[in-house]
Amino acid sequence: MPGATLFFSTLMSDEARSIARGLEKRDPHLLDRLIERYQYRLFRYLVYVTGNRERAEDFFQETWIRVLERGHQYDGKSKFEAWLFAIARHLVIDWQRSKKPQSLDTLTDPDQEHPLQLANEDDPSPLHQVLSQEQEENVQASLERIPAIYREVLVLRFQEELQIEEMAGVLSVPLSTVKSRLYRGLQALREALRRGPA
Amino acid sequence: MSRRTHARAEELIAEERVEGISQAEREWLAAHIEECMLCADLARQTDQALRSLRTMAIPFPRGLASRTQFRVRLRAQELREREPKRRALWLACGVSWIFGAASAPYVWSLFQWFGQRAGLPKLVWELGFGLWWTIPALFAAAVLLMESSRKGEQADWISQGS
Repeated sequence: MPGATLFFSTLMSDEARSIARGLEKRDPHLLDRLIERYQYRLFRYLVYVTGNRERAEDFFQETWIRVLERGHQYDGKSKFEAWLFAIARHLVIDWQRSKKPQSLDTLTDPDQEHPLQLANEDDPSPLHQVLSQEQEENVQASLERIPAIYREVLVLRFQEELQIEEMAGVLSVPLSTVKSRLYRGLQALREALRRGPA
Repeated sequence: MSRRTHARAEELIAEERVEGISQAEREWLAAHIEECMLCADLARQTDQALRSLRTMAIPFPRGLASRTQFRVRLRAQELREREPKRRALWLACGVSWIFGAASAPYVWSLFQWFGQRAGLPKLVWELGFGLWWTIPALFAAAVLLMESSRKGEQADWISQGS
């Protein structure tokens, strides 16, 4: 088992280094592949942090432009997705700051909240169709009641399966803050699901 | 069962999912859950909440990936086109520095000759030479510093993720 873990971690770090080399050279084929590979995960993360699908689409494109421009700063020592999410997150924060210069952004202040808008009736995914409508609506409604700051850590930990240390890098906060947000987020999710749709 | 025991179980239920717990704690929790309906419910609700979160589908907009790939390619082309200009600028800077360093003794002699001819005190023409030599260099250094600090700010937040 430890052998397998070592094998996969070596494989991953080799891959990260090869991504770093490609980004350094601004390899267009690599970027195409990365966009395809991370499209769904990045978009999902952006929807969770912005709370809005249209805005998430804009940030999705901007994030990849930044990846192209700043690709040489990725050193390949960490997971590519953690670096990608950090770029996306900072774009969102910059936008929120420029929009409301006097206030803190929603990703640092849970009271400044955008409602989460996940539904897109015209474009159902296969999974969307498989899941029962009732369950889907219940989860959506519950997530809408959770502040973005908690939605973000929940998606990074339980959907993206990032380690707490990696999350601290993405969020630029200490480990203790990540943990406390995770516990509060988990509690908020549990309570929101228990209460059911509003 | 005391309230503290339930509180401990609640903590461990969350901790197990967030950062993991030790074998001894897992065994203690399993034994407690077998006896306590309330905590068993809480564990079930937590698992249900996480399952719901994991299976939550967000439809991906049609064409977004290809639109993005197109924009990225355009931007890459722009950057490639700009690259030779930047290289030429650095080359010009390098050549001018080399020329400046090589011509310094001659310029020094020129200042000395002019100072003597005009009857200026030595300190004045030396200061003149110093200014002639350092002001453009200081200006270039200031521009470079401003540029690198701007890049540094951008790089700072980007590298925080790595």
